[in-house]
Amino acid sequence: MSEIIAPMGGKILDVKVKAGDAVNEGDEVVILEAMKMELPVVAEASGTVKEVKCNKGDAVEAEAVLIVLE
Amino acid sequence: METEDKIRELDRRNQEAEAGGGEKRIEQQHKKGKKTARERIDYLLDKDSFQEIDKFVVHRCHDFGMDKTKIPGDGVVTGFGTINGREVFLFAQDFTVFGGSLSGAFGEKICKIMDLALKSGAPVVGLNDSGGARIQEGPASLGGYGEIFKRNVWSSGVIPQISVIMGPCAGGAVYSPALTDFVFMVKKTSNMFITGPQVIKAVTSEEVTPEELGGAMTHNTKSGVAHFAEDSDEAALDRVKEVLSYMPQNFREYAPVVACTDDPDRKDMALREAVPSNPRMPYDMKDIIRSVLDHHEFLEVHSHYARNMVVGFGRLNGISVGIIANNPRFLAGCLDCDASVKCARFVRTCDAFNIPLITLVDVPGYLPGVNQEYMGIIKNGAKIIYAYSEATVPKITLVTRKAYGGAYIAMSGKHLGADLNFAYPTGEIAVMGPEGAANIIFKKEIAESDDPDSTRQRLIDAYRDTLASPYKAAELGYIDRVIYPEATRPVLIKALMTLRKKKFDIPERRHGNVPL
Repeated sequence: MSEIIAPMGGKILDVKVKAGDAVNEGDEVVILEAMKMELPVVAEASGTVKEVKCNKGDAVEAEAVLIVLE
Repeated sequence: METEDKIRELDRRNQEAEAGGGEKRIEQQHKKGKKTARERIDYLLDKDSFQEIDKFVVHRCHDFGMDKTKIPGDGVVTGFGTINGREVFLFAQDFTVFGGSLSGAFGEKICKIMDLALKSGAPVVGLNDSGGARIQEGPASLGGYGEIFKRNVWSSGVIPQISVIMGPCAGGAVYSPALTDFVFMVKKTSNMFITGPQVIKAVTSEEVTPEELGGAMTHNTKSGVAHFAEDSDEAALDRVKEVLSYMPQNFREYAPVVACTDDPDRKDMALREAVPSNPRMPYDMKDIIRSVLDHHEFLEVHSHYARNMVVGFGRLNGISVGIIANNPRFLAGCLDCDASVKCARFVRTCDAFNIPLITLVDVPGYLPGVNQEYMGIIKNGAKIIYAYSEATVPKITLVTRKAYGGAYIAMSGKHLGADLNFAYPTGEIAVMGPEGAANIIFKKEIAESDDPDSTRQRLIDAYRDTLASPYKAAELGYIDRVIYPEATRPVLIKALMTLRKKKFDIPERRHGNVPL
């Protein structure tokens, strides 16, 4: 099990996966807005999405868990 | 005794020394995927170039029955040879002999080649694979380490010093690699820590494996202690050879110039698209870096650590250069504590060894946050400013997009003594971005207007047109030239060729006081 966390604090602009999706290393799973930029949050490892812990529009802190992978 | 017999005696002694800790222990080493000390030396150095010294040195310990077992070489193989024709001194710790543990004699062997290297002006490569201090020797072993550390520091910035961790490296032993210029680690078979998992468990009850605590990826990502994580002994040694090719033998020389068959006037129209028109979109700065360097070859250093900052070696027209760049792809390219130390250390390493600095800038600022403030972004950020101001090698800067606030100054800004500063037409050089600036400058006007939102937007756009560009800085002469992106390589090369023999000194002092 691994967690995909927010690299920095910001706002969730888009969530690109849902529970059950297969994810490969390098896939963009979430778009985070920070420092006036749209930053892709990328999976560091492959897996299946177990739980999506954020929603479009949420404000998140650095290191907040966004996606849980199995 | 005839001379022939004496020759045979030398043969016998040589074979005994080369057998190290014996067949069984050599087999154990191989089973773990590790080469022996002599195999590593053979792989690293040019064929038949190795000149071993102190092969027959033995330990002098009389305690705990140690005098009953003496193995020639005493667990470390030392000497000199060539790598791609260039002299190097090296030591390779031999895990098969007394677990590679360091005794007084072992320490002296290493100190001897370090002394020779310093006098000769040639790099030292250390292959670490050791159980640590030879406890039976007591303070003699500690003294061994201490004398090595002192020499690491006396040689620091005089000759390149490379450490390759190819097995355990624990306790005080880690300080020698920590004092050297670059640390390479082999994944899974090497680790570094001050206190190991067992002691940690006993004292704090934390449970952790050696790999998690101090393996190659831990030190390449979390601590930043190591600069490279390689898959095997061979891969690590190959990488060492690559790094050395970009460096001079010593601080009085330049790195070798490699014949360049890549057209120095090569233009790349694709660079016009490298920076997205929309400033909200990130891109990978490494695409620009690889486009402009000779043969698109970029040897990234510290690639897993603080990825918002990219550092590494490349060549322009055959000349070895140090590349430093913000990478908008990670943390929006912001400067934070980790990126600051990564940058500052690499800048100072290049400056120590006459390697020109090419800095590519796209930085929206320092990363905001309570955590960064508590971790000392103030003093860590200051390290970048210190390193660039102190550096007297040629300094060439290119702003590709954002260069805001203090980060604009810190990233090899003109004011810190950069020699030539360029910018793309997409450059944005200002105190802060349009949104923040408009809200401050036009606060009153926006508040008093009938339609604050559209007034704000109008003023943001006006600000963007005047200040979110390279031209204000160009009018001040802070940017020497606004360039067409496709001409990046020829522009950088012409600048470098003109500056490459730069001679400049900052005011004399005992030594500066870099914020630590």
